[in-house]
Amino acid sequence: MTRNEFIIRRLHSLSGLVPVGAYMTVHLLTNASVLDSPATFQRNVNQIHSLGSVLWVVEWLFIFLPLLFHAVLGVVIIRGGLPNVSSYPLSGNVRYSLQRASGMVAFFFIMWHVFHMHGWFHFDGYLKSVAEPLGGAQFKPYNAASSAAQALRSGAVQVLYAIGVLSCVFHLANGIWTMGITWGVWVSPAAQRRANYASIVFGVAMSIVGLGALNGMSRVDVEKARQIEDQIYDSLKGSKTPEELERDQHKRDLHRTADAEHPTAEESPTADLVLPDTVPRR
Amino acid sequence: MTASHQSPADAPRTFDVRVLRQDGPGGASYWERHRVPYEHDMNVISVLQRIAAQSRSVEGDEVAPVAWECCCLEEVCGSCTMLVNGKVRQACTALVDRLLVDEPEGIELRPMGKFPVVRDLVVERQRMFRALEKVRAWIDVDGYYDAGPGPRQSPEDQEVAYPLSQCMSCGCCLEACPQYTKVELTRDPGESDADFQARQDQTYDSAFVGAHAISQAVLFNSHPTGTYNAGKRLDALTQEGGIQICGNAQNCVAVCPKEIPLTTSIAKAGRQTTWHQLKKWFDQ
Ligand code: SF4
Ligand code: SF4
Ligand code: FES
Repeated sequence: MTRNEFIIRRLHSLSGLVPVGAYMTVHLLTNASVLDSPATFQRNVNQIHSLGSVLWVVEWLFIFLPLLFHAVLGVVIIRGGLPNVSSYPLSGNVRYSLQRASGMVAFFFIMWHVFHMHGWFHFDGYLKSVAEPLGGAQFKPYNAASSAAQALRSGAVQVLYAIGVLSCVFHLANGIWTMGITWGVWVSPAAQRRANYASIVFGVAMSIVGLGALNGMSRVDVEKARQIEDQIYDSLKGSKTPEELERDQHKRDLHRTADAEHPTAEESPTADLVLPDTVPRR
Repeated sequence: MTASHQSPADAPRTFDVRVLRQDGPGGASYWERHRVPYEHDMNVISVLQRIAAQSRSVEGDEVAPVAWECCCLEEVCGSCTMLVNGKVRQACTALVDRLLVDEPEGIELRPMGKFPVVRDLVVERQRMFRALEKVRAWIDVDGYYDAGPGPRQSPEDQEVAYPLSQCMSCGCCLEACPQYTKVELTRDPGESDADFQARQDQTYDSAFVGAHAISQAVLFNSHPTGTYNAGKRLDALTQEGGIQICGNAQNCVAVCPKEIPLTTSIAKAGRQTTWHQLKKWFDQ
């Protein structure tokens, strides 16, 4: 660890941009496509899920593991420093401290967010008996917008998401700026200033995208979105094998929310789909 | 721009100075208050001289003179660096009239917080010099033979190098750096001088080298003769405690009394180490 400190720190710096930062940018942009329509969002999600059974490998290899590496080493780095903003209240120093604070917030947010939407792991039994009862795994990829909208219904959740998203965006935008210094991309004070403006523009733009996505998601008309999503799913069904259809079940919102205003699967207009018997009926 | 222009018309007859004292290495620190008669155009060094001369605290107790260091009295040696009203700076250019305008309550003096205290305001800055050794902050020209005149340096390069050469190893950049944390070792019972020194050097080498050393490495790498050893300096900068520890808070550049473009040096060293490391990988 100490002998390769330079390489490890550089990898930490790099992993923040690719894949973690790049993934986040794509993620927020994809989510913001819900502002166009739930159908657009659904099609984007379907494209991602067309990876099928290799999706989890991609998720772990290119998102979760780099993210965990970045986070764990980030904690080590935070512990090595001694913030002193009160003695030296300079803008760079404030950003140094904010970078650390936003990193911590972002980490806790992402851990919760991944649990909340995704459940952390995909095993059926675990999802049904652990994740879902604890309020996790609420996102259903084949009912993307409607399930996300339901997960984000509460105001408190929306506030936490807004804080989390803004922390992530700040951490990335400010991180890009410091990364450019670390790697020696922008060297002179003038270049660092220009890069700073660029990172601010990027940060503001991504904040708008992120908050736009959050807002768009929470304003989705759940009923309407669900019908559209089910139609899209039905149109895909023909090309799927029975095993795939079965595997898809936990990726669908089978409309069995306790919420009385929502029709159950049987009453729903698109309830004519045949549920394989292996799917536990709650 | 002399300070007397700024001296308050109703200058006080006396003012108080709070000093954070420590009787010896590793000892407990304690505050002590001194009352000093006001004179025009004092600096913190002349204040410390008055305090030493009277050796009496506000309470009237006779106390040992407060210890401090100074040498050039014109901000070129760096030895008088301390925290004046919480800000790291040279005591010799900290003018009382201006300090009292900002802080009429009096003046607060503390030793630098990132270095072991020897006594009162005197600190041990060996770690800074160890860092300069680590990055080979010199040019290898010593030898038995006349090697002839060295390569010429263009005026443009000189202009870039000169500001970096003004570093006086005062340590302000390190005191303000959130990534530069204090390292203080105490000698084990029975440990010899040499053993202690070796242990201390080793510990210093694994801790952050600091902005001053990074900047000096960049200075000597840019020198037409120094560049022959650029690889060794970059190796040093990528060892444990090297440039990778910098967190880009940019306090160093803000507090450097010599206005050395430290963050430019850090970014340059960042670029040089990036290429150096890649070359090492692909050339091996
Ligand atoms: S770089 Fe500046 S602050 Fe740091 S030691 Fe040199 S003169 Fe002092
Ligand atoms: S830029 Fe680096 S060396 Fe300078 S104060 Fe910040 S962390 Fe320390
Ligand atoms: S005495 Fe030399 S810098 Fe103050």
